[in-house]
Amino acid sequence: MLWLALVFPDWPLQALFRNQAHAHPLAVASGQQVLAVDAAALAQGVRSGQGLADALAIAPALLVRPRSRAAEHSALREAAGCTLRYTPRVALEADGLLLEIAGSTRLFGGLDSLQQRVHDDLAGAGFKAHGACAPTPRAAYWLARGTPGRCIDGIDNLPAALAPLPVSVMEAGTRLHDLLADSGLRTLGSVMQLPRDALARRDASTVRQLIDQALGRLPDPRTCFEAPRRMDSRLELPVPRHDTDVLLFAANRLFNACCSQLSAVHAGIESCRLELEHEHHPPTSLTLMLGTPSCDARRMVLLAREHLARLTLPEAVSALRFQADDWIHLAGRSDDLFGRQAPSPAQRLEACALLVERLSARLGRDKIHALSACADHRPERAQQVVEPGQGRCATAHARRPLWLLSPPQELQVINGQPWRNGPLQRISGPERIESGWWDSDDTASLGDALRDYFVAQGMACERLWIYREHAQPHRWYLHGLFA
Amino acid sequence: MASQPGTPTGHPLLDAALPGGGWAAGEMTELLTDCAGQGEMSLLLPLLQHASRNDGWLVWVAPPHIPGISALSAAGVHTSRLLLVRADTAGERAWSLRQALHSGACTAVVGWLEKIDMAALRRLQLAVREAAIPLILFRPTRDARLASPAAVRLMLSASAPGVLRVDVLKRRGPPVSQPIHLQPTRSGARLPSGLPRATPSHVTTSPAAALIA
Repeated sequence: MLWLALVFPDWPLQALFRNQAHAHPLAVASGQQVLAVDAAALAQGVRSGQGLADALAIAPALLVRPRSRAAEHSALREAAGCTLRYTPRVALEADGLLLEIAGSTRLFGGLDSLQQRVHDDLAGAGFKAHGACAPTPRAAYWLARGTPGRCIDGIDNLPAALAPLPVSVMEAGTRLHDLLADSGLRTLGSVMQLPRDALARRDASTVRQLIDQALGRLPDPRTCFEAPRRMDSRLELPVPRHDTDVLLFAANRLFNACCSQLSAVHAGIESCRLELEHEHHPPTSLTLMLGTPSCDARRMVLLAREHLARLTLPEAVSALRFQADDWIHLAGRSDDLFGRQAPSPAQRLEACALLVERLSARLGRDKIHALSACADHRPERAQQVVEPGQGRCATAHARRPLWLLSPPQELQVINGQPWRNGPLQRISGPERIESGWWDSDDTASLGDALRDYFVAQGMACERLWIYREHAQPHRWYLHGLFA
Repeated sequence: MASQPGTPTGHPLLDAALPGGGWAAGEMTELLTDCAGQGEMSLLLPLLQHASRNDGWLVWVAPPHIPGISALSAAGVHTSRLLLVRADTAGERAWSLRQALHSGACTAVVGWLEKIDMAALRRLQLAVREAAIPLILFRPTRDARLASPAAVRLMLSASAPGVLRVDVLKRRGPPVSQPIHLQPTRSGARLPSGLPRATPSHVTTSPAAALIA
């Protein structure tokens, strides 16, 4: 067994803001005490553990947010989801994760490369973690808190590695920490040297139990985290913002977290919702339709960018919320043996669907269409506008023009001759088209069409498709152009 | 890029004037014309037919009228591959063209532009080089005096009934001083023989209305 422990420093702050870059010093407080501070606040002299009044006196511009246990809880689950693709055995701790990676190191190219990938994935979702490895979960966790970066591979090396750690790395409760401090015990090594019953007599047997678990002498069972079926994550902006780039950057963190989780379960989503929360207005909601089931964060960002470009926000955005349900399992796809080759038909189909989605996201769904053939003699009805991808090929008809005018344009008649900047000359015709009596009682429909079509030539040598109505008053119309 | 063979236009005279012997993939080609109906689209039919045989969209951005799919089918174009984009402003048109080129999902892109600035054209030129598919842009003839990064610029006009005059304004290689006269519907490569011919001899001068009585 090899456990990789990941501890998130300043977790109350990270869970809320996910390390977004910003100019303001920021702190999270619980009651009147500062819990976590960012780099800008740290530079100004604010420390965690300080009283809120002191902190505000040192840095008057400090932005203080109350601690949100709910946000920490859901952010930890999201971070766990990001790591699920590296091992199915992920356990949750108060401010960190434990990953059992003995079976995965080889697949991901060694321990270093695996750790690097885990950190990269977490960074994509906006989390920064300290890591350490050890054969027992508790020892790994203590090492990650005390001396991040350590990797202990033998269980016999554990006592020596744990001995210099301060007792504060133990999750033992304030009462026991006070007891140990009062007894002059500063490091785990000094606690380990005590006789076994000395701690039990002082009602501190928990400490001994924790140490035994860390050293692998007592069993330490953990429950594995399972990815939820429904994704719902939220991210606050330190300061309400309008700019698309900032919003996209923040949204990207949510997309990355979602996509890491999806790729762990080999699934994709077809649509998701991004809500932009405002302080005084109901949230603006964007629905991203991905076209095909996908777990590609880049695609979501592209679509979100188009939506945001079109949108006018009623107010600056204070938080983002991402929701997606209904995963669809994706069929596995094998990589090419010789690296990247020409795109496969499936990739091509995906690209086709994505193009339609991108264009409709920006221009509107009604602006993108295809044409499909219909069995009807009337030229207006022989083809109709359909959703892209649903067009049927037409039967070939060489005597039809390449451009159709909709609706047909009425032509002037001068001296009994159709006129368009000059008299029109006949080239061929007439071709009689009459049909449609069956829907003539419906006033909205085209009805019975009785027409004689001609190919005519205009003044600029353009070839036109014109027709004369059979019924009185025998009007002339321009219906197409032979381009 | 110039050595890459292009798709023939169906007119040997025009093919000879174009670098690569036809519509070049990975290049921007401009067709300058003011009047629809002179046979300007039928020059593209062989290209469209060829492109529509492959998977992917045949994107038309802002066509001036509705394409008649019976006529396209008659020329062998698979009309189910056609993707029509209605874009009203110059910015939206340029953006749509760029998206189509970047997507890797298109086999050919045709666009109709009213006005476009040099920067947008340059971006299109870069995109088309990367996409390595043909990009055909229709522009009004008044834009002929504006500079353009297009590899080929052709000015189209009708010189006589049924005859399309092509002036090669720009191409790679020595300039072409003589205009090329084509009969688009006559030699239109793969067009079936049933299409009516617009030759001067067929044109009757009698008023069309008088023929119906």
